[in-house]
Amino acid sequence: MKPFFANTAVLLALCGYAAYAASEPLSIKLPAETTKLRPSDLPGYTLATQKCAICHSVDYIEYQPPGMSETQWTAEVRKMQQAYAAPLNEDDIKQIGAYLAASYSGTAAPPTGLQASPAPSTRGETITDVKTLLAQNACLSCHAIEQKIVGPSYRDVATRYKDDPKAVDILADRLGKGSTGQWGDIPMPPFPALKPEELKSLAVFVLGQGRQAQ
Amino acid sequence: MNVYDKNFKFHRRLFLSGMAATAASLAFAPLRSQAYTETLDFGNGTRELLAYPQKRPLMLITARPPHLETPFSVFNEGALTPNDAFFVRYHLPNFPTSIDAGQHRLKITGLVNKPLSLSLQELKALGEPVEIVAVNQCAGNSRGFSSPRVFGAQLGNGSMGNARWTGIPLKTVLGHAGVRGGAKQVTLRGLDRPVLPGTPEFVKAIDIDLALSAGPLIAWAMNGTDIPFLNGYPIKLVIPGYFGSYWVKHLSEINVIDHEFDGYFMKSAYRLPDNDCQCVSAGTIPDKTRPIAQLKVRSFITNLHSGETVRAGHTISLQGIAFDSGSGISSVEISDDGGQHWQAARLGKDLGNYSFREWCTAWKPQTPGKAELQVRARNRLGEGQPAVSLWNPGGYAHNSIETLSILVV
Repeated sequence: MKPFFANTAVLLALCGYAAYAASEPLSIKLPAETTKLRPSDLPGYTLATQKCAICHSVDYIEYQPPGMSETQWTAEVRKMQQAYAAPLNEDDIKQIGAYLAASYSGTAAPPTGLQASPAPSTRGETITDVKTLLAQNACLSCHAIEQKIVGPSYRDVATRYKDDPKAVDILADRLGKGSTGQWGDIPMPPFPALKPEELKSLAVFVLGQGRQAQ
Repeated sequence: MNVYDKNFKFHRRLFLSGMAATAASLAFAPLRSQAYTETLDFGNGTRELLAYPQKRPLMLITARPPHLETPFSVFNEGALTPNDAFFVRYHLPNFPTSIDAGQHRLKITGLVNKPLSLSLQELKALGEPVEIVAVNQCAGNSRGFSSPRVFGAQLGNGSMGNARWTGIPLKTVLGHAGVRGGAKQVTLRGLDRPVLPGTPEFVKAIDIDLALSAGPLIAWAMNGTDIPFLNGYPIKLVIPGYFGSYWVKHLSEINVIDHEFDGYFMKSAYRLPDNDCQCVSAGTIPDKTRPIAQLKVRSFITNLHSGETVRAGHTISLQGIAFDSGSGISSVEISDDGGQHWQAARLGKDLGNYSFREWCTAWKPQTPGKAELQVRARNRLGEGQPAVSLWNPGGYAHNSIETLSILVV
């Protein structure tokens, strides 16, 4: 607030807009998002935790009517891709539709469900190219190198951890397991399908963005 | 009439004291608690009550983008909905959380002689402020009552509110910019944005004739004070008689164009079947659609709710609200026999054609058992409410006759 006021004062002195001297921004802080997706062993669960919350809190899903079919849920997920440009391919759409139908078509659950520990990866090969990892996991939907989108910019993350010798481990752990409260109230989803080496590659990449940008 | 009046006041006071007790206990309780929920009368209808900035605890529909619904009991407090109880609805996740009203600008661009970039003070200086009481109702209000159910925000009847708006007519502002020949529509946009590059921007459009009519207002005050942040601070477009999706919050850009705007929130979303009833057979897709526009006639009983018990042979007062798109409410009637006989209610104070119109009447339930208590209104054009809910795929513009299930003992 203070630096803002100082800047405004200079501007006012230059332009003579005395009328705005009293101007001060009105700011609000909203309650944290607490609703979590209903845990499931279906692959669509992990995808849903990663993709849905880019644009909306998942209470939107929790409160939908009971009894919707898999066809209806899948069509709704497809709408998210076609109308709102959600980063989903056709396979993602089907998997998420199947998960939502299996988890949300019955009776209502309490609005604050527990989140299960996601299953570890069973994939064979390890991806070493960071660009591929970023693209496959839609990281850049929520993060940019230099500005905040849904989550913090990579530069801000790198700056915060620049003197922390354990930064790579901390970050790799949070990427894999997800976290909340580090950069605001919007949760970072877990990426359980990524292997430890891949998480480490991503962490090293993110931590490198502070130096690169300066 | 004496007994009736006494009853009326007694009932109202009783109700209000109940409200006050609830509010007081909430003030000292943790903001989030499973104990404070409200259940809407449809499947999966339990909602948490949560206090957002400048708001009393409201029903949480979605946290991001925020959508808060007014608990229905608020509509029994009076014809004007208090600012701290007024519903909230955003469309896009990247919405502002800090706004400097002194720095805010409203840009008028496009097919005008003189493009404008107005500060709030400049806007206020363009002419005499005007006031109007008008209902803002979400297009999806009551969507949860769609049968069969449809996807979308699952709303009860509380995504509506009635307020006294102060501002300057849109036509005055457009007059200063000078609308050029060939103008067909104006597009409207506020400060909320998508987070993904491919997500459509929230931009609405209205025809130039409507924009230049006496109705639309660029408002900066709501019930005599600044518009609450979550309702569109510092300025909001008010289009009396039209659904809330046109009432753009944090209004920042008005663009005059020579064609019909084809953005997503006009061309694909917020559309109704293009036929007389604006409806199709349940579960089917309309051949042709048109943008949702004006409010339909609605009426509610506010001092009784489904499931309540009343005594046979005892007169009680019923009260409620009715509204339409601006021709004005001409009658409100109640029925307790499934709509065979209707009894006229007395209309309350007239706050203007676009306002909630309060009504009250005396009701003497005769026969013990289950009573279906119904309310219907008509406007001065003779338009009423359908007995059975009309269905459309978006679950928009619900306005069938409301029915309460009351137990008479």
